[in-house]
Amino acid sequence: MTTSFKDRNLIAVIGDEDSITGLLLAGIGHVNEQQKKNFLIVDSKTQIATIESTFQEFTERKDIAILLINQHIAEKIRPSVDKYQQAFPALLEIPSKDHPYDPSKDSILKRVQKLFGE
Amino acid sequence: MSGAGARENVFATRMALTNTKQRLKGAQTGHSLLAKKRDALTTRFRAILKKVDEAKRKMGKVMQLASFSMAEVTYATGDVSYLVQEQAKLATFRVKAKQDNVSGVILPAFEVDRVAGSDFNLTGLGRGGQQIMKAKEVYAKAIETLVELASLQTAFTILDEVIRATNRRVNAIEHVIMPRLENTIRYIMSELDEMDREEFFRANMDNPRLKKVQGKKKRDAAAREALQDQLALEEAVDNPPAAVESSIGIDDEESTDLLSGKDADVIF
Amino acid sequence: MEALFFNVDNGFLEAIVRGYKAGILTQNQYSNLAQCETLEDFRTQLSATDYGNFLANEPLPISTSTIADKATQILVDQFNYLRNNAVQPLAKFLEYITYAYMIDNVVLLITGTLHERDTHELLERCHPLGIFDTMPALCVATNVEELYQSVLVETPLAPYFRDCLSATDLDDLNIEIIRNTVYKAYLEDFYNFCTTLGSPTSDMMHKILEFEADRRTVNITINSFNTELSKEQRAKLFPAIGRLWPEGNNQLARADEMDQVRQACESVSEYRSFFSDVGSAQGNGSGNGYNDLAAASHLEDRFFRMEVHLNKQSFLQQFQYGIFYSYMKLKEQEIRNLTWIAECIAQDAKDRIQDFIPIF
Repeated sequence: MTTSFKDRNLIAVIGDEDSITGLLLAGIGHVNEQQKKNFLIVDSKTQIATIESTFQEFTERKDIAILLINQHIAEKIRPSVDKYQQAFPALLEIPSKDHPYDPSKDSILKRVQKLFGE
Repeated sequence: MSGAGARENVFATRMALTNTKQRLKGAQTGHSLLAKKRDALTTRFRAILKKVDEAKRKMGKVMQLASFSMAEVTYATGDVSYLVQEQAKLATFRVKAKQDNVSGVILPAFEVDRVAGSDFNLTGLGRGGQQIMKAKEVYAKAIETLVELASLQTAFTILDEVIRATNRRVNAIEHVIMPRLENTIRYIMSELDEMDREEFFRANMDNPRLKKVQGKKKRDAAAREALQDQLALEEAVDNPPAAVESSIGIDDEESTDLLSGKDADVIF
Repeated sequence: MEALFFNVDNGFLEAIVRGYKAGILTQNQYSNLAQCETLEDFRTQLSATDYGNFLANEPLPISTSTIADKATQILVDQFNYLRNNAVQPLAKFLEYITYAYMIDNVVLLITGTLHERDTHELLERCHPLGIFDTMPALCVATNVEELYQSVLVETPLAPYFRDCLSATDLDDLNIEIIRNTVYKAYLEDFYNFCTTLGSPTSDMMHKILEFEADRRTVNITINSFNTELSKEQRAKLFPAIGRLWPEGNNQLARADEMDQVRQACESVSEYRSFFSDVGSAQGNGSGNGYNDLAAASHLEDRFFRMEVHLNKQSFLQQFQYGIFYSYMKLKEQEIRNLTWIAECIAQDAKDRIQDFIPIF
C-alpha cells in the first residue's frame, strides 16, 4: 500500500478545457516517453468510455500521485469513482468553471458524512 | 457444558492447559493494546475528517477564483487553450511524498515541488501576457490547496482502512479468539476431571481388598455412591465458574486433593 | 476631392456600418445586463438589443463560450456582407483587417503541425474571420517545411512570412516569437497601405495603427521581463511605426523593469497617464513582482480603453475607411464585454462585473 508512493510525483487531470488550461499553465502538464499525456480534455463530444478508460489508466499508472477530476465529469462515471478506494493516486473532485462545487456529490465527502452520521 | 461453543482441537493434557492459558493471557494483552491503537487512530481520524471537510469547501472557493482568472485571460488574450496544451512537455509542478507516522501507521503527505519553469513565459507576448502570468500564479496557489487536500484525503483513506482493520482485529479477539480459548480451557479441565474420575473408578475396581470384603452388590452400591460423590464434587468444581478463569490452577490442585481424600474415605 | 466621389463606391457600405454601429450596446443596456442573476436573464436582456434572438436555439444551460461564439458569428456575418459588397480599394482594406486573424490561425496550424497533431480538427478552432479558402490546403502539410511552402503559396500572408522567417525558423523559434514577428510585418504593411489610400483614411488609420503598434511594443517589453527572450530579439519584434518609434522603442528595447518602461513612454502625453500608478505601486511594494503584475494588468485595461476611445473617434470623420476597422474593433470589444459579464454572472463574481469597458 505504501511501498511505491515515493516514485509518484505527477498530478493528472481529467477535466474540461478551461480547467485544464489553467492547471497546465501552472505547470502540471507532462508528456512521457511514450507520448502519454497526464491530462484528458473532456468536451461534449467525448465518449463516456474514453473517460472511463482514461480514468482506469491514470489510476493504474505508477507515477501519478494525485488525480484531479472535474466534478461534473466524475458524475458521468460515478460508479467507478465511488468504487475507487485506493489511497494512491489520491482522487480529488474539483469544481469547474460552469459547475460550482457541490459537496454532497463528492464520494469522499459522502463517506465523511456517513462516518459523522453514524 | 464443556462441549458448548467453539473450541480448539487439542488433547486434554495439563501441558495444553498451560499453553492455552498463556495464549488467553496474550490475547487479553493484545486486545487492550489494539484497542488503545484504535483509539489513537480514531482521534487522529476525526481531526483529519474535520480538516478534509474544511479543505474541500475551501477548495471550492479557491478553484472559483482560479477559473475567474482564466476568464480574465480569455478577456485579454482570447483562446489560448490549444497553445497551452501543445506546449505542455515536462511537469514543472510536481509533488513530493513525505512520511508521517501515527501509531505505527505510515501516512504519506504530499509536498509541492515546483521548479521555476519558463514554459509559458512568452504566451500572450503581444497581448495579455500579464493576465496569463497572473492566472498561472493563481492556479499554482489553487493547486497547492489541492495538494494539501490530497494529503489529507490520502491520510483519510489509509486511516480509514487501518482503523477498519484494527477494529476487525479488536472485535475478532474479543468475540472469537478469547471465547474460544476460554472454552478450550473449560473443555480441558472437564476432560481432566473426567479422567481423574475414571482413574479413581478403575482403581476401586481393581482393589482386591474391596473385592474380598464386599459382595458384588455392595461394590455396585459403593460405586454408585462414589459416583454421586463425584458428581457433587464436579458441581463444586464447576459451579463457581468465575473463579475458574483466575484460579484454575489452584482449583485443579484442590480438586485432585479432594479426590484423593475422598478416595481414602470410601476405601476405609 | 476624396469626399466628392467617396459615396459613389462606398456610400452604401458606410451607411450600413453606421447603422450597425447604432446597434452597439449602450451604457444603459450594459447596466441592465449587469443586473442579471442568471445567464437566462442575460439572454432575455440581450434579446431586447440588436442581438435579438441569437441565443434562442441554444440548449440550456448556456455556456459563456457559446455566447461568445454566437456573438462572433453575428459579427462575422456582418463583416462578410460588407466584404461581399465592397469594391476596390475598400475590398483590399477589409482584406487587410482579416489578415490579423489569419496570422493567429496560421500560427495555430503551425503549432499543430509542430506537434504532429491532426490539423484538421484545428480548423474549427480558428477564428472565423481569419479563415481563407485555401486554409484546408495547409492541413495537408505534415511537416513544418511543407507547411512553410504552403503558407507561401496559398495565403495572402506570404510576404510577411517570406521576409521575416525561414522554414527552419518555424522549427527553432518559440511560436510566440513567430507570431509577433509576422504581426509586426503585418502592422507595418497595413500602415503603408493606409498611406496609399490618402487622407482622411490614412489620418484616422495611422492614429489607430500607431497606437496598436505602441501597445504591442510596450506589452512585449513588459511581458519579456525575466524570460529567455533576449533584448536583441525583443527589439526585433517591435513594429517600426508608432509614436514611440524610434527613440521610445530603443529605450524599451533596453528596459529591464517597469520604471524604465514608464520613462520611455513619458515622451507621449497620452501614454503618460497610463503609468501614473505604476510608480506608487513600486513605492510601497518595493518592486515586488506581484505589484508589477497588478500594475501591468491595469495598464492592459487602460490600453483597451484607449483603443475604444480612438475607434470611437474615427466615427466622427466621414468619407473614410477607418470606420470599418473601428467598427470591427469596437464590436470585438463588445463581445469581450458580453463574455466578461456572462462570466461574472456564471461564476458569481458580482464585484468584478463592472470591469468591462463600455463603448457608448
